[in-house]
Amino acid sequence: MKEFELFIGPQHVGVTGNMMYHIWVDGDTVVKAETNVGYLHRGFEKLMERRSWLMNIALIPRICVPEPDVNEAAYAMAVESLMGWDIPERAKYIRTIILELARISGHLLAISGYAGAIGLYTLPNWAIGDRDYILDLFEQLTGGRVYHIFIFPGGVRWDLPDGFLRKLGKVLDYLEERMKLYDEVMFRNEIFFRRAIDIGVIPKDKAIEWGVTGPNLRACGYPYDVRKTDPYAAYPDVEFEIPHYPKFGEFEAYGHGCDCYSRMIVRRLEIEQSIRILRQVIEKIPDGPHILKLPNPIAWKVPAGYAYARVESSKGEFGYLVISDGGKMPYRVHVRGPSYTHGINVMEAIAPGLNIADFAPTAFSLDVCPPDIER
Amino acid sequence: MKAEELFKELNVEYEMMKVKGNEDPRYRVKVNADKLEDIIVKFKENGFRHFVALSCVDWIKDGKFELIYHLFSYETLEDVFLSIYIPRDEPKYRSLRHLFPQIETYEREIHEMFGVDFEGNDRLIPLILEDWNDMPPMRKDFDTEKYAKEKYGSIPPVEGGDEE
Repeated sequence: MKEFELFIGPQHVGVTGNMMYHIWVDGDTVVKAETNVGYLHRGFEKLMERRSWLMNIALIPRICVPEPDVNEAAYAMAVESLMGWDIPERAKYIRTIILELARISGHLLAISGYAGAIGLYTLPNWAIGDRDYILDLFEQLTGGRVYHIFIFPGGVRWDLPDGFLRKLGKVLDYLEERMKLYDEVMFRNEIFFRRAIDIGVIPKDKAIEWGVTGPNLRACGYPYDVRKTDPYAAYPDVEFEIPHYPKFGEFEAYGHGCDCYSRMIVRRLEIEQSIRILRQVIEKIPDGPHILKLPNPIAWKVPAGYAYARVESSKGEFGYLVISDGGKMPYRVHVRGPSYTHGINVMEAIAPGLNIADFAPTAFSLDVCPPDIER
Repeated sequence: MKAEELFKELNVEYEMMKVKGNEDPRYRVKVNADKLEDIIVKFKENGFRHFVALSCVDWIKDGKFELIYHLFSYETLEDVFLSIYIPRDEPKYRSLRHLFPQIETYEREIHEMFGVDFEGNDRLIPLILEDWNDMPPMRKDFDTEKYAKEKYGSIPPVEGGDEE
């Protein structure tokens, strides 16, 4: 039978944002896929070269919309490296709160997208609704719901407001209860098993070489997490596990790993671990200043040099290579987003052989975020 | 195998990058463009199997482009940044996409954004920009403001909007 071409995106419920997959189909089997990006290009790397070190903080959260805080954290850490600053302990803990809340909200969006793609339409509504409680916390803490512009080189912008930790604890209790319902609707659901097990498999021996990171790598059986392999913020002080195939605890390790099932179960279990981390942070958070005494922001000069900082986002390794020539603006910033590899070369490699109906769930299970591909 | 041992074996000098926040050591090495492929292969064989990114920097004053190949080892938890310099007036290098498949996309982007030609990569088609006919935009001598004014400044926001 003759092949025909199909465009999934840029306006399509089956893609994870403003991007397009151009696929060639034989019957209902995908034979070839090409990624087409560029719908969201705003030239952040170029813009950053024309803005002062501090002005960039307001710009970069836009690089990853569902989880903007990783950008601020990685950029701030890179600038701190060049400046040689050690940030206060309290700032490290507040950063951990922000980054873990952002991770839960990123995972909720990933779960909602995936559930919608396999036809479980209840979960998207629940997950978006539950994410709003996290956005409420962000609003109370930072003033912004989606973009927070809160993590600064040298610390964080403000201290925690009164009663914030109590409210955080309540939201965590609520989310933990909700997860049981999520399990019933999706993670222990026969529909999920049939649609996810051994679908969209990344070859295990190629995973690292292909640049797979984050939950997608852990679903292949590698227990690598930047929070453990290159620790930052308050992560060395808290205890948590790295869920990876086949260590799924209360969930069965069906299939052979590296598939949609493992990727989604890893995300589900990471929400639990994030809740665990946040509970420890509430207990352990020390008193003290939340930011260093900063020099005059208009005359900030950063010593010349190269610095690379990385954080673990809900999608994988997020890194900033920052190069300074000693001036008031960065000379060059390169953003390494996890979706760059997941969305382009990994998706193009694993798509052939998929059923058309499995294409969108596979793309969602990789949790591709197009803004960090094209920046 | 530790990065320092590999550097010793390959007889290259390295410098340490400053790190605050993260904990792993980061080594920066300037290597000869001819030897780069062998060095990457050597590192890949010895645990540095995660290719993190390929970055390009436009050093316009020196008339050079710097290509930074960034590798990471999950075994020894070390970062290695291998830098090569290529002339800015004839930016050319050979493709290394056979070593790590994602290099293909990075080369595509650098070809588009900096105008560097990678021999051996037959997929240097536009990645992000569409119908681009100016100089590669990430070059330092490309003026975004001037480009925007020339391209869009003369067009009135609505048809007939510039009439009194």
